[in-house]
Amino acid sequence: MKTTPEEKPLDLDFVDRLTARVGARQSQTLVHLHAIQKEYGYLPPEALQRLSEATKRPLDELWGVVTFYDQFRFTPAGQHQVRVCVGTACHVKGADLVYDAMRRHLEIAEGKDTDAQRLFTVQRVACLGCCTLAPAVQIGNVTYGHVSSQTVPLILQDFLERQKALKRGPDKKAVKAVQEPDGQIRIGLGSCCQARGSGKLLDAIEQSVARLSIRARIKQVGCVGMCYQTPLLELAMPSGQTFLYTRVEPEDAESILLKHFSPTGRGRLLMNRIGRTLDRFLTDTIAESVSRHPVHVRNPQIADFLGCQKRVATEHCGIINPLDLEEYKQKDGFAALEKILREGTPEEALGQIEASGLRGRGGAGYPTYLKWSAVQKSPASIKRIVCNGDEGDPGAFMDRMLMESYPLRILEGMIIAAWTVGASEGHLYIRDEYPLAVERIQGAIEICQAHGYLGQHILGTEFSLDLSICCGAGAFVCGEETALMASIEGRRPMPRLRPPFPAQHGLWGCPTLINNVETYSVVPWILRNGGRALAQMGTPQSRGTKVFALAGKVIRGGLIEVPMGATVRQIVEEIGGGVGEGKKFKAVQIGGPSGGCVPAELSDISVDYESLSGAGAIMGSGGLVALDEGDCMVDIARYFLEFTQQQSCGKCTFCRVGAKRMLEILQRLCNGQGHKGDIERLEELARLIRQNSLCGLGRTAPNPVLSTIAHFRDEYEAHINGRCPAKRCRAMIHYSINTNCIGCTLCAQHCPAEAIAMRPYERHEIDPSKCVRCGTCKNVCPAEAVDVE
Amino acid sequence: MITLAIDNQKVQVPAGTTVLEAAEKLGIAIPTLCHKQGFEPSAGCMVCVVQISGFSWLMPSCGTPAEEGMAVQTGTNEVNLARRAALELLLSDHIGDCEGPCRLGCPANMDIPRMIRFIAEGRADKAIEIIRRDIALPAVLGRICPAPCEKVCRRAAQDAPVSIRLLKRFAADADLDAPAPYRPVCKKPTGRSVAIVGAGPCGLSAAYYLAQKGHRCVLLEKNDQPGGMLRCAELKEKLPSRILDREISRIMDLGVQLQGGRELGRDFSLERLQKEFDAVFLAIGQPDHRPPLRLPLEMNEKKIVADRRTFRTSLEGIFAGGGALSSRRMCVKSVADGKEAAEAIDQFLRGQPPTGFQKEFNSRLGTLTKEEWKVFVNGADPQGRLEPDSPGGGFTALQAQSQARRCLHCDCRKKKNCKLRKLSTELKAVSGTYSGQRRGYSRIDDHPEAIFESGKCIQCGLCIQVLKRAGLGKGLTFRGRGFGVQIAAALDGPILQTAAEAARQCVQVCPTGAWSLKSK
Repeated sequence: MKTTPEEKPLDLDFVDRLTARVGARQSQTLVHLHAIQKEYGYLPPEALQRLSEATKRPLDELWGVVTFYDQFRFTPAGQHQVRVCVGTACHVKGADLVYDAMRRHLEIAEGKDTDAQRLFTVQRVACLGCCTLAPAVQIGNVTYGHVSSQTVPLILQDFLERQKALKRGPDKKAVKAVQEPDGQIRIGLGSCCQARGSGKLLDAIEQSVARLSIRARIKQVGCVGMCYQTPLLELAMPSGQTFLYTRVEPEDAESILLKHFSPTGRGRLLMNRIGRTLDRFLTDTIAESVSRHPVHVRNPQIADFLGCQKRVATEHCGIINPLDLEEYKQKDGFAALEKILREGTPEEALGQIEASGLRGRGGAGYPTYLKWSAVQKSPASIKRIVCNGDEGDPGAFMDRMLMESYPLRILEGMIIAAWTVGASEGHLYIRDEYPLAVERIQGAIEICQAHGYLGQHILGTEFSLDLSICCGAGAFVCGEETALMASIEGRRPMPRLRPPFPAQHGLWGCPTLINNVETYSVVPWILRNGGRALAQMGTPQSRGTKVFALAGKVIRGGLIEVPMGATVRQIVEEIGGGVGEGKKFKAVQIGGPSGGCVPAELSDISVDYESLSGAGAIMGSGGLVALDEGDCMVDIARYFLEFTQQQSCGKCTFCRVGAKRMLEILQRLCNGQGHKGDIERLEELARLIRQNSLCGLGRTAPNPVLSTIAHFRDEYEAHINGRCPAKRCRAMIHYSINTNCIGCTLCAQHCPAEAIAMRPYERHEIDPSKCVRCGTCKNVCPAEAVDVE
Repeated sequence: MITLAIDNQKVQVPAGTTVLEAAEKLGIAIPTLCHKQGFEPSAGCMVCVVQISGFSWLMPSCGTPAEEGMAVQTGTNEVNLARRAALELLLSDHIGDCEGPCRLGCPANMDIPRMIRFIAEGRADKAIEIIRRDIALPAVLGRICPAPCEKVCRRAAQDAPVSIRLLKRFAADADLDAPAPYRPVCKKPTGRSVAIVGAGPCGLSAAYYLAQKGHRCVLLEKNDQPGGMLRCAELKEKLPSRILDREISRIMDLGVQLQGGRELGRDFSLERLQKEFDAVFLAIGQPDHRPPLRLPLEMNEKKIVADRRTFRTSLEGIFAGGGALSSRRMCVKSVADGKEAAEAIDQFLRGQPPTGFQKEFNSRLGTLTKEEWKVFVNGADPQGRLEPDSPGGGFTALQAQSQARRCLHCDCRKKKNCKLRKLSTELKAVSGTYSGQRRGYSRIDDHPEAIFESGKCIQCGLCIQVLKRAGLGKGLTFRGRGFGVQIAAALDGPILQTAAEAARQCVQVCPTGAWSLKSK
């Protein structure tokens, strides 16, 4: 961290060195800004001025760009960034309470985002894409899952301890690669796993393996999909037998290893000592936790989770090391590319895509073949290709997982697409909230460059392709393709009117193919297995499979891939294991802020593009958040509209002002201040915004409201009458303590608002004027003595 | 060339033509707000939306390129509703008055702020022109008007309202004493005649404006002298007859004929007037007749029933206004009725359907927060409200000029050439249809001639384009996004100083009053 500007003048040479290093082109703008913010902790005006000079770009233009994105800040930040995820899954699991608790704990003043000691800066973030860990909080580079208002102090403390430990330096021993190992230790290193401590687990395993001289190969694999069970540890024995351990704590690592591997050499001696230690705690936690965790794929729960899934985009899920080229090739990686490049023609590739019936997986479901052929047919000499990895929907993390786990496959799909349409330059636009995805894709690009899959004369042919990553900076609208292109070009990312479409007039005016991450990741499979094979899966209108991020109120959340046409019920109940906690399944929210809610009564509808839009939802990119009876549908509508309203670029009247007016009505309803006619006014505004917005963001923004009104109109009416049936809207509920109270004082100890006086052995009371309705008392009460009315 | 159909008419245009331009070629007018010819279309305000075949949503015609075989509809019900809604949404976040509250509070709709500004400049001669457009008896009203305008004057929230009535009196008296007083231009005689029954404030006012429109006016008054209730005993002290006489003579100077001592029902009948005149205006004042006057018109108890906008009674060609319609009214309201009835009678005499006085659309500033108020009154003249030296007297020229400077200039400087206002009037937009949080009042004026009020900006970005073209080496940009998006200079620097000499052009292209000239 740099010292604060008051103390000494900024060293602005950094900016000059930066532009000299990465170039001064306008398309590098986001790179420049990210680097400057990283260097100074914010964007100092002097640095922007210097950047404007160095890039010969008017400062006003630059100012328009930097002020568009959420992530850039203009005042010095605290030493560590705390990002509280308020994505859909986190929202329904109480992210607001976590955010409030975080601010309370750090005593951050109203209107500020940083504590007095300038240690932590607390911000809300649209979605960290760790929906199965909801509510999630990212501090620095560490993600914490299942945070609650009570655990806020603990995670802050844990973070600071980690920082101290990091300063001391790593104390792990290097693990030597083992020839002919006794087995393989696979450890999931997706963001979800890491957030639940798989990094620590990996450290523990590496230490144990080194210390005990176990002859096993440790292998990092991508997301296993079973995010609800993280961290996952799988042991694959030479016999072919595998053992899957779920929710493994670092302390458990050694005992698990000892169960399956024999220590060698000096490790044997150590083993005896550990054995004795183990004996001492035999009946205690270690033994118990170990026996509690191992599961087998034949375990009915896991079998259900994996049962009706079908892997295309997520092929070799949980087995493959994301950045191991050799392994990828062993599993048919790059076979499709090599074959089509050497033996095929672009027309053949197009033919396979057409036969597959593949439709864009980014949301709108536009036939991929049509997009490709439009670009291919263009006579332009320079064409470009873009991979849209700006997965901004709160409640969605498919693209993140795909990028983290299958970066090589995505690149292969993209290279095939580029070759087919004749593109020679391309970009992968990835959210900055996905550092691991950026790292893996960057790694994969470097591997491809080193092995002749990217660069000049790919695989010895005349075909050349350069790919680079462009990191977003917190603007959902960048997922809209015209805004995305503006962002890559370094302009203010405002969507523009289509036509012209990117296939006609794209990046820097060149015909440009833009597809979503998942779309590209299906391409190699199609070329290997033939378009028909994909077309055989799914429904007549929606072919193939779809990856969903299943989160919210389900027992087993995670990344799943099912054939199109699976029902909502299958996904929620069979794969997800139902909503749990004895609660009733109410609805699923599909498609995020552009989508809608499918109520439980309609859960037998098939998940495909047409059926979903018929039900008022959309496929969207594939975020699927299950809701139970404790979720208020008006609150859900308000939540999504708040999101789209905040993310609106502000260009067209209906989205800029109309969405704001809709949100105000919804906020009133949730505050118990609704009045007659509000529902009709919402419907009217929704119709107008749908019909008259410039881009897809605005045109779909009313969907969450319309679909909840369509299916849950009674809840809206109840809100007008001052009642929230789900007991969720804070303004309409109050907490009280009933006669079950045993006087344990726990509620009083934990109440963050000092609304409960400490009265040992007596029935406690809540002061409604102080109560912030955070629900902490209800959570900590051991006697079910807290009522919500 | 591309062929497309707009409202079922075929048109050929070169490639690259927009739908808006193609429609223009056909003579089909599509309203536009944020669009300016010769500039890059912003396609943001959505007032120019049209229905294009193949799209389930509406498209802004200014930014949509015409394509072969396109079928466009420009006037469907949906399109019209969308256009009005676009305006109403913009208005829900439009922070400013079109007209000042004083003018809206004035029953005669007098342009008070402009009068005040002329007085402040020492131009009483111009002020009286403004006054007399709406008020036929300014010296009278300058003495007896209860001044509802002052009750709504924003300056009252700061210290005390501007002395509007006394300022009007000052300008009117100055005119009465002027060697070359103001005399409105009368149109050529139309050959039509109007009988005006009652020479009170309402009848006199009607005569004043009807005469200007070229109609022959005959005032029939039951008393010997004109003036009606203005001659009553209670007003004697406030309103010397000397003033009243002089002011009435200004009306008579326009060729109005007066027949005193002639009373309706006693000396002549309505039927006779109908035969002798092309139109009749009944300005007979409060119904104090005993026995009550019997007229062959629809009556409600003692009062005549007439349309409040067109002043038409149940009989064709007979109009009524003033105290004859309702009791307990201010004199200024009667004067206003006379003016508005004149408008309707004129329309009738020209064979047009009488619509009466058409009000323009008005945006309202609404309630300001404390912080906003500080900005609003920033730079206001600090002096307080002055009472005249003698009780019942008027201001001296110096006093009037300095009192006029107290005006806060609530009315919009672009009220005459604001596209938003014009369209809102045309498309019948209703302000207040949508309401909610607004961006907050802001006004910056650190520039010799321009003012920028961000609360009136509709985010068209034309000023950004102007500055880019001006090539000053620095420019403006959109800042932020969504509802909070606004025009800004680099690093939030001074907007007006950035615009520098190009500010005038910004004022010219700005479709609303966000950019305006100080002098207006």
